[in-house]
Amino acid sequence: MFTRAVGFDHISWRRYLHRPNSLLPVVSVAAQNLPQLYRFCFLMTGEASKAQDIFQDTLREAAFLAANGEPPADRCWFFREARWRCLDVVAHGVQPEHGASELTEVSPQAPEQIEQLEPEQLAIWISAAPEPQRSALALYYLDEFNYREMMSMLGLKLNELSRAIASGRREFQAWLNATVPAAAPE
Amino acid sequence: MKRLSRGLRTLADCAPIANAKAPDRRMRTAVSRAKRIEGFGAQQSFDRAVAKLVQATPVSPEIQEWFANEKMAEGAKRNWRKTALHPAILAIGIALAVIAVVAWIKFDEQMHAFPGTATAKKLLNVAAMTRPSELEPMQTEAGTLNDLFFMKYRLEHYDVPPEFSQQRTIGVRVFDDDEAGQVAQISLAEKRMQLFLFPARRDSKTGQPEEFEGWRYIEQEGWTGAVKARKGILFMAAVRGTKKDLAPYLATKPQLR
Repeated sequence: MFTRAVGFDHISWRRYLHRPNSLLPVVSVAAQNLPQLYRFCFLMTGEASKAQDIFQDTLREAAFLAANGEPPADRCWFFREARWRCLDVVAHGVQPEHGASELTEVSPQAPEQIEQLEPEQLAIWISAAPEPQRSALALYYLDEFNYREMMSMLGLKLNELSRAIASGRREFQAWLNATVPAAAPE
Repeated sequence: MKRLSRGLRTLADCAPIANAKAPDRRMRTAVSRAKRIEGFGAQQSFDRAVAKLVQATPVSPEIQEWFANEKMAEGAKRNWRKTALHPAILAIGIALAVIAVVAWIKFDEQMHAFPGTATAKKLLNVAAMTRPSELEPMQTEAGTLNDLFFMKYRLEHYDVPPEFSQQRTIGVRVFDDDEAGQVAQISLAEKRMQLFLFPARRDSKTGQPEEFEGWRYIEQEGWTGAVKARKGILFMAAVRGTKKDLAPYLATKPQLR
């Protein structure tokens, strides 16, 4: 997929990466974060195919930049770039209704409720959240970035980031209670 | 039940889950205090469960295979040459070089400075702007003018040093300057050189004239001056040119009459 993304179909990606003028620097930035980058795209869009496309486009953009002598400097670039692409793709899709969400305090039974969920359900729920809560929750639950990095990537102040995550928790708990009710204590 | 302050509560809401590390002390403090608060444990369990679910997101097999066995460090590595040629580094380097050159020039100036440097530089400007018609015609040997200065202007010790005493003069004048005081200006026929005699700067505490040993050079706008102090009077020979133009005069031993 990567070789296709950078336009080198005739050689394997491994051979390409080990050439002296390869795009190894670009890939090395993202290497350890590629699965996470994909997961981020998945949480943002809620659809595997869209996530895959955005993931590819982001890597292609990185490859072009590297070819022009300006490789992305850090891993945050990949997530920032992917985020804009996700927002663009989602903006052209079906828009979820944003009504007043029910809020419930986080329950001690939440882990058991969450265990019953599929990752797709979580991704659909997060992708339906309004911005910037959607991006904040996606980045936060990747468990990859600290709050300063998230503030920088999302352009949010600390209280805005905190509010987005805290209200996201309570809204998700309310949704959990409605979707997978906790077992009654014996 | 204890409550967290608003600031710490804000931080605790974005507390690291498991892999992300607290970036600063405030966050560590917030987490440590939040742990004593009821409800934070539930929040952490909730966050860990959601993060675990996120990590369980199936990733395309190609993505996993591609980079699973590669030893790759994070961050684009730059070699020293690329780093050095980065525009920001280059700009900083040039700025530092300019600062170093200016600092060196200033340091060099200070090293060669002597009491009366500012006045001498001012008189170099005077030398550059003086027209021959501004001076009283006087054709004689420069060394004989001390009598004129003393008799006519009451200027004591306004003696031309032996190195220039036998030079032929073409004009002379005495004028008052705000900074220098009474200045005697002599124009020579040779190389249109000009000689200046003016009082040395006086020490503000002792009132004694500040003197120095030997000849000191100053340069300004194409003019060069050689300055010497003697008996509280500074003598300056000024010429349009460089030190090389003045050096032969200073090297010659005066002939005895």
